Amino acid sequence: LRLCRCPARALLSRFAGAPRARRGLAARPEMHFGFQTVTEEERREKIYQVFETVAKKYDVMNDSMTLGIHRVWKDILVHKMNPCPGTLLLDVAGGTGDIAFRFINYVRSVRQRQLQRKLKHHQNLSWQEIFESYQKDKFNSLGDSQVVVCDINREMLKVGKQKAQYLGYSEGLSWVLGNAEELPFDDDKFDVYTIAFGIRNVTRIDLALQEAYRVLKPGGRFLCLEFSHVSNPLLSRLYDLYSFQVIPVLGEVIAGDWKSYQYLVESIRQFPPQEELKVMIEDAGFFKVDYENLNFGIVAIHSGFKL
Amino acid sequence: KMAAAGGLRRAGWRLWRGRAVVRCQHYPPLRALQASAPLRRASNEHEKEPWTSSTQQHFDSPPAGHQPEQKPQGPHPSYTGQGGQESEDYESEEQLQHRILTAALEFVPEHGWTAEAIAEGAKTLGLSVAAAGMFHSDGSELILHFVSECNTKLSKQLEEEQKLVQLGEAEKKPVDVFLRDAVEARLRMLIPYIEKWPQALSVLLLPRNIPSSLNLLTSMIDDIWHYAGDQSTD
Repeated sequence: LRLCRCPARALLSRFAGAPRARRGLAARPEMHFGFQTVTEEERREKIYQVFETVAKKYDVMNDSMTLGIHRVWKDILVHKMNPCPGTLLLDVAGGTGDIAFRFINYVRSVRQRQLQRKLKHHQNLSWQEIFESYQKDKFNSLGDSQVVVCDINREMLKVGKQKAQYLGYSEGLSWVLGNAEELPFDDDKFDVYTIAFGIRNVTRIDLALQEAYRVLKPGGRFLCLEFSHVSNPLLSRLYDLYSFQVIPVLGEVIAGDWKSYQYLVESIRQFPPQEELKVMIEDAGFFKVDYENLNFGIVAIHSGFKL
Repeated sequence: KMAAAGGLRRAGWRLWRGRAVVRCQHYPPLRALQASAPLRRASNEHEKEPWTSSTQQHFDSPPAGHQPEQKPQGPHPSYTGQGGQESEDYESEEQLQHRILTAALEFVPEHGWTAEAIAEGAKTLGLSVAAAGMFHSDGSELILHFVSECNTKLSKQLEEEQKLVQLGEAEKKPVDVFLRDAVEARLRMLIPYIEKWPQALSVLLLPRNIPSSLNLLTSMIDDIWHYAGDQSTD
């Protein structure tokens, strides 16, 4: 497997290396941080700081900025995933655990339905057999499904763990500190990899996509929920107006942090549009890559399979 | 070299995407890794050269055991390279989907025509259960696949019968008897799934599926009439 990936990596580093060579010795690859230009390390640091500051108010801000619609988007993502009991999910940049909790709820309800269906077939069994099957299933309300929440930011994970405790989620959930560009997991481990509103903040998206490919099992699915580009011109203008005039103000009023939300809005504009992200995902090796626009392109769900 | 060229030509468009992944099914040391790789693609030139020499020795061990398991159900493109051994297989996404759906059919009596059956089918092929996400969650593709498989089976059966008649080994049946037998044979194919068949019919009637299901139905009728001896053009 290493042999196979080396040429691909070599191609990519050549690609990244070219601008370096052009600019001479002291040059580091320049990246965007919102509308500013910074180096890679600076960008990572700045983003870490952004999320460190907003961690406690993250959920409140999400609700106020998107008027609560982000819950619907995340629900749609999990419905699209349609996980069955026994699925192993890796939620990257999943800080406060929204996707993880929805996944657990979904799997629990599917499992309930499964058990109910099995009950119907139990009409002809003896009492002893029914009792035994109850024993087996009672301790398996999730059907062996598990979700691993991975985030690079300790503060976000802390908030997520607190939320889990508060809401009563304990089974099938684990929290791992890790970088999307270099995941601390073995190859071929997970059934589904999701990254909701996180890939925008990754400095090297191509590396993150490669890591996603690596940790997924064959047949595994990659799902990415992210703000994207609106093609409708009228809506695009309204959206821009809302983003640049309203959101930073909300940030200042609710979280006391104008700059972080200015960054948020700018980073949405800098993020590649749907088709470009689709090509990037295909380049990482995924098949059947497709995207679904939600709300006319304000948000898009990209999906790909490791085949 | 010939095999490499053949493989390259065939998988040209994938090469163009720069995917330098080597999936050679006749390299046993890496089989553990590639056994789980359902899609096999040709590599690019640079990687093939050093490998062909080392794969020569492995060609001699005829992996008859794993060949049938890795072949897709339908006809597939395969190449015989040096020494007449197969060098690489190239399977498209459609063929993989085809295989998953065929594997899923055996779980239908238990789970019904649902994404769960497809997930179980994918599991038997060594894929993750998430592969069922490739298909619609109501199982339409599974049903359509089953129907088209049955129609193909029926078609073959009728063709065999026709050959027997032409060879003079069997008598030509009168049209009404022929039709009755053909329809009966087709209906008998449903017997293993008869419990969940009402569910399948209801899904086939969904507006989204009506074009495909009607298409399958009319082409099956055309086939039956063709073998019954109907020469009309409509």
